[in-house]
Amino acid sequence: MKICVLIKQVPDKDSSLTIADDHLTLVENNITWVSNESDNYALEEALQLREKHGGEVIACTLGKDSARQVLKDALAKGADRGIFISDSSFESLDVLSLGKVFASTLEKENFDLIMSGLQSDDQGNSQLGLIIAELLNMSHGTLGMGTEIIDDSTIRLKKELEGGWFQWTKLSLPASISIQSGINSPRYATLKGIMMVKKKTVDEINASDVASRASASNITVKKLYVPDKTKETQFIEGSPDEISEQLVKLFKNDIKVLN
Amino acid sequence: MTEHPFTIIEKIVLLSGICISLGSFCFEVLKRLRIVLKGTGSLPLDRIGERLWRVFREVFLQEKVIRGRLLPGLMHGFVFWGFLVFGLVTLDHFAIGFEFPLMSHETHKLYSYVVIPFSILVSIGILHLAYRRFITKPKALGKLSPTSGLVALFIVLLMVTYLLGEMELQPLVWKINWWLHALLILAFLILVPRSKHLHLVLGPFNIFFKPFHQPDHTPVKIDMEASEEQLDEMLSNLTRMTQNQALDIFSCVECGRCMDVCPAYRGGGILSPKDHFILDLRQPLLETGDVDVLSQINVEAGWECTTCQACSEVCPVGNQVEKSDEIRRLQVLVEGNVPQEYQKLFTNLQNTGNTEGAISSSLVDRLPKFTPDMEYVFWLGCFARYELDPNFTKSVENFAKILDTAGVSYGILENEHCSGDPANRLGDKLTYAMLREHNMEQLKNSSKVVSMCPHCVVNLHKEYAKYGDISYKVEHHSQLIGRLIDEGKIGVKIGDNGKVTYHDPCNLSRMLNVVDAPRTAIESVTDEFFELPESGKDTLCCGAGGGLWWKKETVGKTHLVRAEQVVESEANTVVTGCNFCYGMMNQGLDPLIPDDRSNIHVKDISDIVAENLA
Repeated sequence: MKICVLIKQVPDKDSSLTIADDHLTLVENNITWVSNESDNYALEEALQLREKHGGEVIACTLGKDSARQVLKDALAKGADRGIFISDSSFESLDVLSLGKVFASTLEKENFDLIMSGLQSDDQGNSQLGLIIAELLNMSHGTLGMGTEIIDDSTIRLKKELEGGWFQWTKLSLPASISIQSGINSPRYATLKGIMMVKKKTVDEINASDVASRASASNITVKKLYVPDKTKETQFIEGSPDEISEQLVKLFKNDIKVLN
Repeated sequence: MTEHPFTIIEKIVLLSGICISLGSFCFEVLKRLRIVLKGTGSLPLDRIGERLWRVFREVFLQEKVIRGRLLPGLMHGFVFWGFLVFGLVTLDHFAIGFEFPLMSHETHKLYSYVVIPFSILVSIGILHLAYRRFITKPKALGKLSPTSGLVALFIVLLMVTYLLGEMELQPLVWKINWWLHALLILAFLILVPRSKHLHLVLGPFNIFFKPFHQPDHTPVKIDMEASEEQLDEMLSNLTRMTQNQALDIFSCVECGRCMDVCPAYRGGGILSPKDHFILDLRQPLLETGDVDVLSQINVEAGWECTTCQACSEVCPVGNQVEKSDEIRRLQVLVEGNVPQEYQKLFTNLQNTGNTEGAISSSLVDRLPKFTPDMEYVFWLGCFARYELDPNFTKSVENFAKILDTAGVSYGILENEHCSGDPANRLGDKLTYAMLREHNMEQLKNSSKVVSMCPHCVVNLHKEYAKYGDISYKVEHHSQLIGRLIDEGKIGVKIGDNGKVTYHDPCNLSRMLNVVDAPRTAIESVTDEFFELPESGKDTLCCGAGGGLWWKKETVGKTHLVRAEQVVESEANTVVTGCNFCYGMMNQGLDPLIPDDRSNIHVKDISDIVAENLA
């Protein structure tokens, strides 16, 4: 089983983010960069599949120079090698163009499985895995909460549906699946894993290596801003019975926490 | 002595019995000693005078045995002192069998005036202990041990046969009684090394060799340039016990005092220090004949430990019980099996140098920055710096006020990183090394450091020193405040704080041995001070130690046990000397205080002193 895991470097959602004066970007100095949360779960799932079925796990990222760190982290956790896609011309691409860059890079590797996190914590497009699947003619599944390899050409995927429901589906391989956070318990890089990183290879890919060049971005950011915080306090008055009746109505109709 | 002649057959039987019994005893003891000597490190032989003094107090005077459990401790004391008195009697007993008595008839008679009262005390003692073990059955003693019953029976019979032997008996009855006594001793020798009663032999040595400082985990020195073979060797050594730890396992008397004082166990967690840190490892040691057994420690139990060292403090046979460091570092460095909240904590430490992943601290802007002309580096620690409990900021300001009043110059380090305490205690020795190296660089031009966080003090001082020389002195703010009061550099007055008690932080009392300084400070501003049931070096952990502050879910209520005690104490104010204890008290007390009780004020030592400056 040859598995590719897509990992994105994103700003730590728990760190305090400051919007730059241009209202288009974040103040870089204040950002703590981390691996995207659900991508960590995808990596863990890939490593567990490799431990069970053998094969190879390749971590792949696209980003600025600092993004090498997510590959280092993945290699330390046990990925066999890395692919680092980086070019200044990729920085502002929309997700479709990015999909083309990835598809072009990954095509020659003939992966059985491409795994990615459900969505990135910064952009939240949730599309990259699907786009790559379409471009490379792979089957695809999203919101994975469990995987099971049936044979060399089939994988079962447990998908999370709405309202606490799950669905097991069979996908033919090769497939691209996206993984939901919480599917497993991601491991921590062992000391040996960290020390072995320097022995592992990372292929560098830039614009000149990508066959089907992505066109310019179709999306431009107009403004980045923090949502206004508002507090709405509603006082309910009356007898206890009236208040409880009002509350039930509120819960049902406005807040929708009761059916 | 011709009074009781022994035939040659009897002498041969006796000699054979002694050889078998002693042979078995030596075989079993040597088998265990061989395993102990396979351990890493060596048994310490420094400060011999202090070690002998400790043996005198803890073995001969039974200090720890009696302190923790007065009545059973005293009963154990009777049995122990009786054994000492009986030593000569026993030797003489066998000598009589060979018709070469050690004592003359008169000396024997004279000595019996000492031995007879002791034989009665031993009987009372062992019967009480047996009653406790088999009738009262305290939980800490564990499941019923038939061997203990047998040993109790042996001891009672030894006493009875001794007393009978001192009476005027028919020669035949005397002889039967003599043989019974001799056989009991020989059987006892066979039983001792195979049971917890081996503590009779190993306990004094274990107390002698016990490290002076707790905790005493072997430092993990990581060389990032090491070859793969060197790395593999270093990692495989992580599962090996030290000689001291292996000796502990065979010395354990299974009394369960460590369970009685363990905050995790008392809070309803799964951790039982006696079982998980000691007894679970005994069989693997004997079965493998080697010390490569640390991976056998229950992992979940290991994560529950608050590393408070109460178990090691209370142990009457000198065990350093706690082994969470050993199992955690295996999980982190070798297995990569780390709870998610701790992975986040480690990532924060690696990325930002602080536990919270914070980029800035508003408190830092309000305090003077350290310059070389200043006397003290005021080490803040992440708790204060990033306001893990926002109320504690006031305590920091109060300490600054005290220093200002006393005219002490101080400043904070802008590039202070976490001392590494959580990484160290949770087993991430690589992240710890990173933080330690950064901080040692920051502190290289400093001579005096003061901190309000005992966790930071322990690490900056004792833990860093395990990895290399440190050039600075570190003290806890309570020590400095106590001294400023003593030297009259700050004036204080008795204030109205109601009934005031003090919660000793484990890092401060047990690891740094600072017990008096906080009391000096507190008692100088209140006249209604009282001690909690467990205080000083016998304090009960607040529940935050060992990285548990960052653990989201715990089995049981480790974090509430101490707070409950404070509520029951009827205190109006509880003072503490650790920011984590301060935070835990604030969190724990609120939901526990009954509606009809007024609030209990949680204060740092700096608060109560600063509020009562004259």
